[in-house]
Amino acid sequence: MAAKERFTLGRFLLSYGFVLTLIAIVVLCSIASPAFFTFKNALFILHASAPTMILATGVAFVLMTGKMDISIGSTAYLSAGVGIMLMVHAHMSPLPACLIIFAIGALLGAVNGFIVVVLRVNPLITTLGTFFTFRGLALQITNSLTISIPSDLGEFGSIRVGPFFLDTLIAGVVLAAYHLVHTRTVFGRYVMAVGNGVDVAQKVGVPVDRTTFLTFVLAGLMASVGGVLTMAQVGSISPSLGQGYEFTAIALLVIGGVSLFGGEGTILPGIVLGALTLTIIQSGLNFVGASPFVYPLVRGGIIFVAMYADSLKNAVARKVRLIPE
Amino acid sequence: MAIHSLPTEASEVLAAPQRDLKGRAFRLIPVALLIVILGVLSAVVPYFLSLNNFISILMQSAALGLMALGLTAVLITGGIDLSIPSLMSFSAVLGAMYMKAGGSPVVASFLMLAVALAGGCVNGLAVAWLKMIPFVVTLSTMAVFSGASIWITNAVSVTGIPRRFITTVMADVGVIPIPVIVFVVMTLLMQLLLTRSLYGRWLYAVGTNIRAARVSGIPTQRVLFGAYVFSGLAAGLAAIITTAWLGTAGGTIGSEGVVLDVVSSAVLGGVSIYGGAGTAVGAFVGTILIKLISNSLNFLQASYYLVLVTKGVVIVAFVAVDSLFRRKS
Amino acid sequence: MSDPFLRMVDVRKRFPGVDALKSVTLEAYAGEAVALIGANGAGKSTLMNVLGGVIAPDGGYIEIDGKRAAFRTPAEASRDGVAFVHQELALMPTLNILDNMLITSFPRRKGLIDYRAGEELCRNALKQLGYDFPLRTRVRDLSPGDQQIVEIARTLLGKSRIVIFDEPTSSLTSREKERLFEIIRIMKSRGTAIIYITHLLDEVFTVCERAVIMRNGAKVAESRIADLTRGQIVEKMIGSQEAVAYFQHHERRPGEVLLTVEHLNREGFLDDVSFTLRSGEVVGLWGLLGSGRTELFRALMGLDPIHRGRIRLHKPGSEVVDLSPQRAHSVMGMLTEDRRTDGLLLPMSIRLNMSIANLKNLLYRGWPFVYRAREESVTREYVKKLNIKSTSIEQRVATLSGGNQQKVVVGRWLQTKPLIFLLDEPTRGLDVEAKAELHAIVANMADAGAAVVIVSSDLDEIMSLSDRYLVMVRGRIVKEYSALATKHELLATASGISAQAEGVG
Repeated sequence: MAAKERFTLGRFLLSYGFVLTLIAIVVLCSIASPAFFTFKNALFILHASAPTMILATGVAFVLMTGKMDISIGSTAYLSAGVGIMLMVHAHMSPLPACLIIFAIGALLGAVNGFIVVVLRVNPLITTLGTFFTFRGLALQITNSLTISIPSDLGEFGSIRVGPFFLDTLIAGVVLAAYHLVHTRTVFGRYVMAVGNGVDVAQKVGVPVDRTTFLTFVLAGLMASVGGVLTMAQVGSISPSLGQGYEFTAIALLVIGGVSLFGGEGTILPGIVLGALTLTIIQSGLNFVGASPFVYPLVRGGIIFVAMYADSLKNAVARKVRLIPE
Repeated sequence: MAIHSLPTEASEVLAAPQRDLKGRAFRLIPVALLIVILGVLSAVVPYFLSLNNFISILMQSAALGLMALGLTAVLITGGIDLSIPSLMSFSAVLGAMYMKAGGSPVVASFLMLAVALAGGCVNGLAVAWLKMIPFVVTLSTMAVFSGASIWITNAVSVTGIPRRFITTVMADVGVIPIPVIVFVVMTLLMQLLLTRSLYGRWLYAVGTNIRAARVSGIPTQRVLFGAYVFSGLAAGLAAIITTAWLGTAGGTIGSEGVVLDVVSSAVLGGVSIYGGAGTAVGAFVGTILIKLISNSLNFLQASYYLVLVTKGVVIVAFVAVDSLFRRKS
Repeated sequence: MSDPFLRMVDVRKRFPGVDALKSVTLEAYAGEAVALIGANGAGKSTLMNVLGGVIAPDGGYIEIDGKRAAFRTPAEASRDGVAFVHQELALMPTLNILDNMLITSFPRRKGLIDYRAGEELCRNALKQLGYDFPLRTRVRDLSPGDQQIVEIARTLLGKSRIVIFDEPTSSLTSREKERLFEIIRIMKSRGTAIIYITHLLDEVFTVCERAVIMRNGAKVAESRIADLTRGQIVEKMIGSQEAVAYFQHHERRPGEVLLTVEHLNREGFLDDVSFTLRSGEVVGLWGLLGSGRTELFRALMGLDPIHRGRIRLHKPGSEVVDLSPQRAHSVMGMLTEDRRTDGLLLPMSIRLNMSIANLKNLLYRGWPFVYRAREESVTREYVKKLNIKSTSIEQRVATLSGGNQQKVVVGRWLQTKPLIFLLDEPTRGLDVEAKAELHAIVANMADAGAAVVIVSSDLDEIMSLSDRYLVMVRGRIVKEYSALATKHELLATASGISAQAEGVG
């Protein structure tokens, strides 16, 4: 009844290639520098991945509907920027300021959603435009300065619960929540339905526009959360906040199995795998003493390979045979 | 990233003649805008309508314009190339480093062109034969090229460009600098090829309906590949001009805004994101427009950031209107 | 007989320039299947789209079980008990059976989806049809026949009282077809009203109790099946004068061999295909959907790779050579199945569309520049020859009618003066007049010496045009028939039934 997929080396590599690469890298780095393979380092890697994982979670749904969002870095910067100005200049305490940051993140996501769904502009161009608009606004508000965060927020970045950093736990909670939404709520199923094809989804009665809009709002919201966590980790906000986030998020998601073509992918374990892969590579490069400028180059290469693998998987999946095997 | 909005209902198809008029009007907007802005500026700025000023504007637009021409070819096929500015930067860096190490400016220029062409080939190969989506290919090559630039230069601009290089490239022919001549000639050549040549027909056909083009015997893969190689070439030419203009190469000053400028120039010039439409002259006009808008905003002492915001809004607005026209029929 | 369960009364729909539905009244009874028959463009899809909530009518009303109903979306229609099983299944490939079936009606518990309850619902629905698939299987891993079962099961979940089937057997094997008919019988016994859209008349006689025949947007006949013959149905479908012309047959003498295809193989699509083509003949390539006809065309044109076998071209006055993709384009022309997705350059003019395959003959003295004057005169020549109704050669093809659009594509290839013409569903979506014109064009092509191969899902059409037949099943040519083949033989062979098994000559 159900056709079994033939086990070929090609398909195995496509599905698990990156996990294998990850294992290989961990082994290599551990050999090159013994301090790499320690519990302490593992904790640190999880700590460093936390903001990225949260960011990627938000964008995941957008990708699953078959759309794209490259403005998350600027959303993170702008929402965090407003927050920090409120904290530093209006002397607002961190908690309400963070809530405002999240609200702004969601609002910026809604702007994207509006342009894509209502004005029907191509999501790539939309988020390319908002990428620059939001960033411009953020630079304007912060005057391109590096601003330190107030001390009580700063401590937040290094609180530990047991051996784990707080933000690792937060990331864990967020991932678990999203996974639940993805697999066990109607919204999550709608997202996957839309990614399979807008026409079929509409024919069947899925509220395509509302679903798409919400995915952008969530992407914006998670971007702002990720922005806050990064700020807490680094201790300040600067124009470099948000730069390259979109690359990282997309690379992470594709490595983790979310297809750019829509309708495929998981939150758990996909995002965790993807985030770990990238962070371990970055950490590994650090440990072996490579120049800090190599990482963007390596990341670009990884994205290219990941995209290619995604294209192949998509082409394979769509192949329809007339004569069954 | 070919997004074909094919009419799906009889109502759409049969009402199309109106769309044609609106489409034509849409294509004329850039020219109209240009005339308006020129009019306003000539009233406000003294000596605006002078030959010197025009040449100065063209000179400022040359590098950007060449990149916009390259992007136009790719856009017509229904794709996009985000890597043009970072490819330009990368090839400029390599050429500059070569000259700094004592190499001849002539060889360096060829080096820049060669590197840029190679970059274009990588993009073209991935899109045409590996069948990857243009957006992600060029997004990742953009990351690779800019990462490579930063890595080789350690994030420091390359200086020490020989004077000979600068003066040769920026020399005047009569009163017109070489870069301006290159820009204008390229525009005219490309316009001719687009409108009258076999390759132009192929390009538009591929961007309109690649499947129909293939059935009709057009070598679609070669056409796609060629478009990206051409944009690589354009990036190479822009690299030579920019290096001579600035006297340095590399660095990250303002680099993030360039991609937006290149795309804006094409879009404002009436080149459609969706493929199958647009001209070289349009990209030319769009570039001048973008430059004039930038200059005007600077003149009004708008902050750099506000400029970014404005550009972001403008580009979305333009594409939204284009989208609207495509659907209205 | 009780009152009709469904009444569509005086339904009207107008698209710009076209009266798609002219006051149509349709009735369906519970426990009964009514066939909705008509040629392409007759209006049956439009009528059902109104019933299914896909489009809103301009006039008329719908009554279900005595109550007025007005739906604006498919979701509303399905809530009122109308289910539409489309020809292209509305399933989501990467999702599993469970998700596909429940997508608009997930059972919920405390805000989350209650999959346990869902599984039970789905299993029951499938069991009613006699099936038991593992529910977590991805739909794309199922065969088309199994996918259809899932979609039908979905209609059962919605407790639909009215189910519309649109050409449901096009992707099915004969065994799966029997299965479908059995399912419909089960549904009828449960009191569901079935509307069955098809152009395959044999099925109508197997499955349905009544028939409604439409033509040009209006209902032209309605009767109990028992009181009708196939001939009468065809006559009503196309109008009495055409019926005779439709089955007319030209005698033609084929000439020299132009093409020999030897053991062509494309992994997964074509299996050991061999045949020859002669000049001046029309070959009907017949088979059911999925038999590989389009794939064969594409392989001949060089659009898809060939894994084994040879194609040899016997060009008059030259040696016999192997046909490479480049050479294919210079001697063959192909009309694709769907002119909108891979035939026409819709935003472009007639001139640009027509010249696109012939550009190398329209160049200026060897330079790669198009000789505009020549292009224009050639375009005008073919516009006249093919009687394409347009305001000028610069008119955008998107604004032409279906028939004229098709003629533009024909003109594109006629310009190149091909030796071999491959036509894939050339009259799909055309009105009767345009169809007749195209048939005449096909006849002229063959009379002028070209070899024409025609694929059509309309058996009557293919029979009226062809000098001989090649029947394909699952990527192989299983039989060749002369012009004397009967409709029954052709249908039987294509369905995989051998003549002996049928016991019919």
